[in-house]
Amino acid sequence: MKMTKIYEGSYQWIMYGRDENKPNNIIDTNQYIVRTANRCLLIDPGGIELFAPMLAAVLHHAPVEQITDLFASHQDPDIISSLGLWDQALPNAKLHAPAIWEGFLRHFGCDSIEYVAIPDNGGVIRLENVELKIIPAHYLHSSGNFHIYDPNAKILFSGDVGAALETPGAPMYVDNFDAHVEKMRYFHQRWMPSNQAKRNWIERVRELDIDVLAPQHGRVFKGDDVRRFLDWFEGLQVGTAV
Amino acid sequence: MRKNQTNSQFVAVASIAAELSAVMDVAKEISLAAANAKAIAFRAGEKAKGFQPITDFINELAKDTIELVNEINQHAMQLYQLTVDEYRMTEAHNKFELAAKYAKGAQYEQSLNAPRLKAQQNMQDCLRQFNAHIAQLLDQLGEVMHPARAARVIAANSRIEASQAGEYLQSLQAVAESVDNAAQVIHDNVQRCRSALSFITITE
Repeated sequence: MKMTKIYEGSYQWIMYGRDENKPNNIIDTNQYIVRTANRCLLIDPGGIELFAPMLAAVLHHAPVEQITDLFASHQDPDIISSLGLWDQALPNAKLHAPAIWEGFLRHFGCDSIEYVAIPDNGGVIRLENVELKIIPAHYLHSSGNFHIYDPNAKILFSGDVGAALETPGAPMYVDNFDAHVEKMRYFHQRWMPSNQAKRNWIERVRELDIDVLAPQHGRVFKGDDVRRFLDWFEGLQVGTAV
Repeated sequence: MRKNQTNSQFVAVASIAAELSAVMDVAKEISLAAANAKAIAFRAGEKAKGFQPITDFINELAKDTIELVNEINQHAMQLYQLTVDEYRMTEAHNKFELAAKYAKGAQYEQSLNAPRLKAQQNMQDCLRQFNAHIAQLLDQLGEVMHPARAARVIAANSRIEASQAGEYLQSLQAVAESVDNAAQVIHDNVQRCRSALSFITITE
C-alpha cells in the first residue's frame, strides 16, 4: 500500500492507495486519514479485500486505539464493506455516514461502532482542534452522498467526483490535466446521474477555498488543476446511459 | 479450513430449516386427518366406538409434533445467528492475523495485539456455543422421533379398530394409512436433520 502525505501541519492528511497485492478484478481505491495528536479519522476506509493492508498501513501513523472515527461518503462496497471488520477492531469508534443509508450499511455488521447518522444538509466532524465540514453531494453519484472539506488544510475529499479509471501503479497526482480528462470522462458520464445535482454541487464548491481535491479513485488535483477540473465537470453532460 | 467448515455450517442449518418446514406440513396433515377421522367415527356411531379415542390421540400427537418443531425452529434460528457471528469472528480473526503480518515494522504494530487476542477469544467462544447448541438441537430432534414412533403404533391400532367399522372400514383404513405414512415421513425428515447436523465437525 502506497502512503502519501498530502497535508502536514499541526495534524496530517495521509492518502493510501495503489495496493500492489489488490486482486486485479476489484477497482483501485484511495483511502485517507486525518491524524491529530490523539485521534485518527479514516475516510472511506475501503472494501473487505482491502481491510488487512489498510489497517497495517494505518499502523504506521496511528495505534489502533486512537482510530476513533470512520467516515463513509456513501454505501458502496468499495467504500465501506470492511465495516464488519472495523467493528471488531475498533469497538469504541464512531462511523459518520449518511442517515438514509443506516439500515443498509448495518448489513455489513455494525454492532459495536456507533453509527452517527449525517442528515441531508451535512454537518461537522470534530477531531480535537480540527473541524471538518461534511458537504452534501447527493446524487454524485449516490442518492445519499457527502464530501469532506477541511478549511484549514484547504483539502476537499470529493468521493467519486474527480475519480478516474487508471492503470495499476498510476501516479498519485494529476500531472497533465488534458491527458487526464479521458480517464475521467466515462466514469463521470456513466456513474453521475444528474446534471442538476452536478451544477448545484459546483456552485457550492466554487465558494470554498481549495488547494487539493482528493477523490476516492484515481489521482489527486492540486492548485490550478482544481479549477480546471471544476470547469471541465461543469461542461460535461452526465447521466448518459438513458 | 475454517472457511469451508463455516460454509458447511450454513448449508447444514439451511437444510435443517427446510426439513423442519416439511415436518411441520406433515404434522398439520396429521391434524387434519385426525379431524377427518373424528367426523367419520361420529357418523359411524357404535360401529367405530373403539376408533373415537384414537382420533384424540392422533390429534394430540400432531399438536405435540407441531409444538416441538416450533421450538426446534427457534433453536435453529439461534444456530443460524451463531453461524453468522462465528463466520464474522473467524473472518475478523483471519484478517487481523494478515494485518499483523503486513504491519511488521510499523511504528504502532504492537497496538494490534489486543484486538487480535480479543478476536481469537471471540471466535473460540462462538465455536463453543455452536457445539453446545448442536448437542441441544440433536436432543430436541430425538424428542420429535417419539411422537412419530407413537403415531405408527396408533396407526396399527387404528387398522384393527377400522376392521370393525362395517361400511366405514375403507374410510377409517385410509385415515390409518395416512397417519402411518405421515409418521414415516416425519421420521425420515428428522433423520436427515440429524445427519445434516452430525456432518458438521467442529474443531477449534
